[in-house]
Amino acid sequence: MTTVALVLHNHDLLADAYKVRLLLALLGLDYQRATVGILPGDGADEPAYRMLNPAGSVPTLVDGEVVLTRPEAMLVHLAERYDPAGTWLPVDPAVRALVFDWLFFAAGDLGAAEDARLASMLGVAPRRADAFAAARRAFRVLEGHLVGRHLDGQAFFAGDGPTIADVAIFPAVALAADFGLGMEEFPRLLVWARRIHGLAGFVTAPGVREVV
Amino acid sequence: MTLTTDRAALDDWYVVGISADVTPQAPRRTRLLGQDIDVTRGPDGRAVVRMVGGAGDGLLCRSEERYGFVWTTFGTPGRGIFPLDEAAEPDRRLVTCGMVEVAASGLRLVENFLDMAHFPFVHTDILGALDKPEVEQYQAEIRADVDEVWATNCRFWQPLAAATSTGGQTSHYVYRVVTPFNVLLYKTCPEAPERFDAIALFIQPVEADRSIAYPLMVVIDSVNADADIVMFQQKIFLQDRMILENQRPRTLPLDPRAEIPTRADLSSVAYRRWLKTKSLGYGTYEYAGA
Repeated sequence: MTTVALVLHNHDLLADAYKVRLLLALLGLDYQRATVGILPGDGADEPAYRMLNPAGSVPTLVDGEVVLTRPEAMLVHLAERYDPAGTWLPVDPAVRALVFDWLFFAAGDLGAAEDARLASMLGVAPRRADAFAAARRAFRVLEGHLVGRHLDGQAFFAGDGPTIADVAIFPAVALAADFGLGMEEFPRLLVWARRIHGLAGFVTAPGVREVV
Repeated sequence: MTLTTDRAALDDWYVVGISADVTPQAPRRTRLLGQDIDVTRGPDGRAVVRMVGGAGDGLLCRSEERYGFVWTTFGTPGRGIFPLDEAAEPDRRLVTCGMVEVAASGLRLVENFLDMAHFPFVHTDILGALDKPEVEQYQAEIRADVDEVWATNCRFWQPLAAATSTGGQTSHYVYRVVTPFNVLLYKTCPEAPERFDAIALFIQPVEADRSIAYPLMVVIDSVNADADIVMFQQKIFLQDRMILENQRPRTLPLDPRAEIPTRADLSSVAYRRWLKTKSLGYGTYEYAGA
């Protein structure tokens, strides 16, 4: 473990926070956790938290002077700062572009999965209409891409090994059962998820099975 | 959905909301035993529960506030809301831990709450460890004098028994089922080992195979913020949820031939037997293999 002054304003139940905890664990980074009192609670509306994160989203990552409020940006930052070898965010421009493409997909279309999940579990009003159908469409895109990658002899979303694109996508896939999306439609995603489970440093989150 | 006609289910008290969340500005539309209801607060500040739709549309229901929750009944319960003496102890914190929706009968939720055998596999490295899966012998009984089910002398090795834990402990548990849909447990408190934390699970049976679960912690904890206590409990319950939603049938079979219990299921056997004596049908499964 490397000792660094990282603070993650976290909530254990959120897929967005799990992305960041997962990369921190994969990188072997030590960090402090501060729980934001939400689900239930209005901890994200407290003035001190809004000073840090005006939009009131969770998580927030503080790394010295750097304060980040979007999980995909946190993944990029952590990879660039703490993985100089470029394993998680490769320097090759083509691979790097593909990683970014999937990061934006994770932050965009795939957000429907978290909407459907929080609505199904906790009765949180979804931000989109028919989040379940939108999540299923996003999963079909993921499955389709992995089928193509498999035919090319590749196992992960971009490049030759796991990248932060995989880390950004994994939580939504691993937590799909929480909103009743069956994985039988997505066999490549299941195989891929097992590979992520097998990575050195992998950690679970509530709802993610310890043993697959 | 229509209101059930199951007498045993109607004649009981149920949680239908968290007191702190019920305000005149934010009435809560929800469903109990198949009947839609509104939960709100009147001008005098008291909680008001009213039926919406169906034969009883507009009817006011009896309601009370206790232990941080709004309770209601559609029938005539044989007794008041059960006592929970620990809630009155001054050094305890009473923390309502939100609500979680589960696509399973509330009776399944109670049975899962009573089960220790799943700790190592579902709550790995928190409430149990994979290398210590044994459920030691314990006792379970129907206590006729109070009409409750108790399981006593329960012990289990736990790596992280509570939000206050700093290491593993052998937790001692006592389980107490107070009504078919309300259950609580007492377990060794890491901060005061001679006393017990009380953890309750109150269930709102929305439909026969859908529930809303409300965990309540009545704990001695001078360290953690409410947010951490809530998150700890929510985490545990969401781990249970993924198992609960995969159980088939979603309702609970009471016929002893329907499933094969093991010694570790003693409390479940007592619970199912107790439910049969009450003639409760709501949330149960009609076993066709007779």
